[in-house]
Amino acid sequence: MNIAQAFKMAWKSIWGKKGRSALTILGIFIGIAAVMTIVSVMEGMKQKTMEQYAAMGSNRINVSIYSWMYDADGNDISRDYFPDLYDFCAGLKEYVEGVTPSGYCSATVVYGTKSSANMEYQWDEMGNLTGEVPPQIYSGSDQYSRCNNLTLAKGRDLALLDINDYNQVCVLGAEAAKTFFGSVNPVGQKMQFNGKDFTVAGVYTARLSEEDSRYSRLDNFIVVPYTTANRVLGAERATEFVVKARSDEAMTEATSRIAGFLKGLVNTNTGGYNVYSEDQWRQYANDSLNMIGGVLAGIAAISLLVGGIGIMNIMLVTVTERTREIGIRRAIGAQRGSIVAQFLIEAAMLCGIGGIIGIGFGTLGSVALSTLMFQTTVYPSALVTAGAFSLSVALGILFGSYPAAKASRLQPVEALRAE
Amino acid sequence: MTHLIELRQVYKIYAEGLESEVRALDGVSLTIDQGEFVAVVGQSGSGKSTMMNVLGCLDIPTRGDYLLDGTDVRDLTDRELSRIRNKQIGFIFQQYNLIQTLSVLENVELPLIYQGIDPIDRRDMAMEALERVGLAGRTKHKPTEMSGGQQQRVAIARAIATRPPIIMADEPTGALDSRTGLEVLDFLRRLNKEGSTVILITHDNGIAATARRIVRLSDGKIIEDHDQEVDWYT
Repeated sequence: MNIAQAFKMAWKSIWGKKGRSALTILGIFIGIAAVMTIVSVMEGMKQKTMEQYAAMGSNRINVSIYSWMYDADGNDISRDYFPDLYDFCAGLKEYVEGVTPSGYCSATVVYGTKSSANMEYQWDEMGNLTGEVPPQIYSGSDQYSRCNNLTLAKGRDLALLDINDYNQVCVLGAEAAKTFFGSVNPVGQKMQFNGKDFTVAGVYTARLSEEDSRYSRLDNFIVVPYTTANRVLGAERATEFVVKARSDEAMTEATSRIAGFLKGLVNTNTGGYNVYSEDQWRQYANDSLNMIGGVLAGIAAISLLVGGIGIMNIMLVTVTERTREIGIRRAIGAQRGSIVAQFLIEAAMLCGIGGIIGIGFGTLGSVALSTLMFQTTVYPSALVTAGAFSLSVALGILFGSYPAAKASRLQPVEALRAE
Repeated sequence: MTHLIELRQVYKIYAEGLESEVRALDGVSLTIDQGEFVAVVGQSGSGKSTMMNVLGCLDIPTRGDYLLDGTDVRDLTDRELSRIRNKQIGFIFQQYNLIQTLSVLENVELPLIYQGIDPIDRRDMAMEALERVGLAGRTKHKPTEMSGGQQQRVAIARAIATRPPIIMADEPTGALDSRTGLEVLDFLRRLNKEGSTVILITHDNGIAATARRIVRLSDGKIIEDHDQEVDWYT
């Protein structure tokens, strides 16, 4: 018996019992839709995360140096290692583009009637962000922009002089500039940080598209000289630093050189250090998201198992109902293999149809959920789609094989006697 | 010489050794040659249906040998038995045994499909068989839309579509009115004249009387086996 004929027969049998077939398919298509939605939403999340990493720029080396030293009175007399690191990096021009502290600073920022203390925001039920988000304040060196993939849109960048002289200046991220100044040119304006006047020196170009930037806050920040942040705003001394390497190869070289340098510099009795390339972080984030996605998809796959058992159940009923037909077919010469093929193809086709409907719903689910969750439309990849279809057909074959084997084992003479 | 069919001391025993033991065939020996028209007659429960199942390779005897064309069927695999049913034997059943979800043409094509014949030849052969039973105009109908006599003609078309050397008919007229029954018998005779070996199972002595040879069964044993003169054969 040829395959085309077998498919035709299977289709006839499925179409002959539309209601039952539809109900049987339900279990499969819900399962497939759930798995697909989860897999592609996780894909989208991963893509989004990686985009943010990319926006920060590549070839970044994260350095952390910490120390703890106290005098007899309990005062912190730990050493600031940054100037040494800064000078060392300046000598590594061949490999290193820049180095900056990556410090945070909390201060109330005021311009005119706008104050970061009064800013309020919320997410509505559609997942849209409304209101104003207070900006993040970073303390950095004159090389902050180079290390963070930033380019100037207006005015000037932080200069070495600002660092050395504790100048009360700041540079705004695109989103922060919009929040405080709207359409007014911020350059030269005075903002109050904890009541102290800071002059806006410049504004950076947005790193993400306007929509993305609003939600990710990646461009909603203000940078001030780290020296000023410490002395004027009372910020804690930074322990995290970012070194920007010139290339992939340079990053490997710079990482080992900086590690070597810090080994000789940092007293391990009173402190420690850590040097790692951001690629490792990226890898870690990627792995974590993969794992979460795997677990979620696994849970959703349980519904597929239930659906598969439904298929097996209904195929067993079908075999019982069609015992006489099996007897007739055997009597006129059907091989056991033909009977197995007939029921297997029927089960696989049933699940395949369920899979196709599931792919349809899964696509809708991915688009809807990704739009709601991270404001981008994620379509399931061709691989996910092909995988979902293969999975559903495989389920049909898996759960159809027992009923099919049962059908083929019927003795012709017994089967013919059935009513 | 080898006979087409040879049964040697064949037993079919159900629940052997138990109190409820039934000997459906109790030491039957029989030979049938190519071109014969044999009626196997007996009361209900005489074992004639079991005989047909054994002869048709639908069932395997408990003991004894069944040689079909010189081959002992007990040595054959399920696959080989299926092939024999498919190519050597055409079955006609009392209840027609058509597949209700398939059309008339598809039912007749079914044994040809299992032979692996390509669709065009298959259709030609099925149409030829349907023409012979006078149903060439009703190929698209479902069996349920037809009368009993027509359904039995479809079953006959299915049985002859593969041009098997042996036709086995189990009470082929049992569900039909007498006039339609006679038409079916007439058709079987015509097949026999053309060279097919026909084995007709029936409980009806009147029908058996039209066969060239009568084998009478009772309680699983052959109690009578004789040839007779019939006018239609000349």
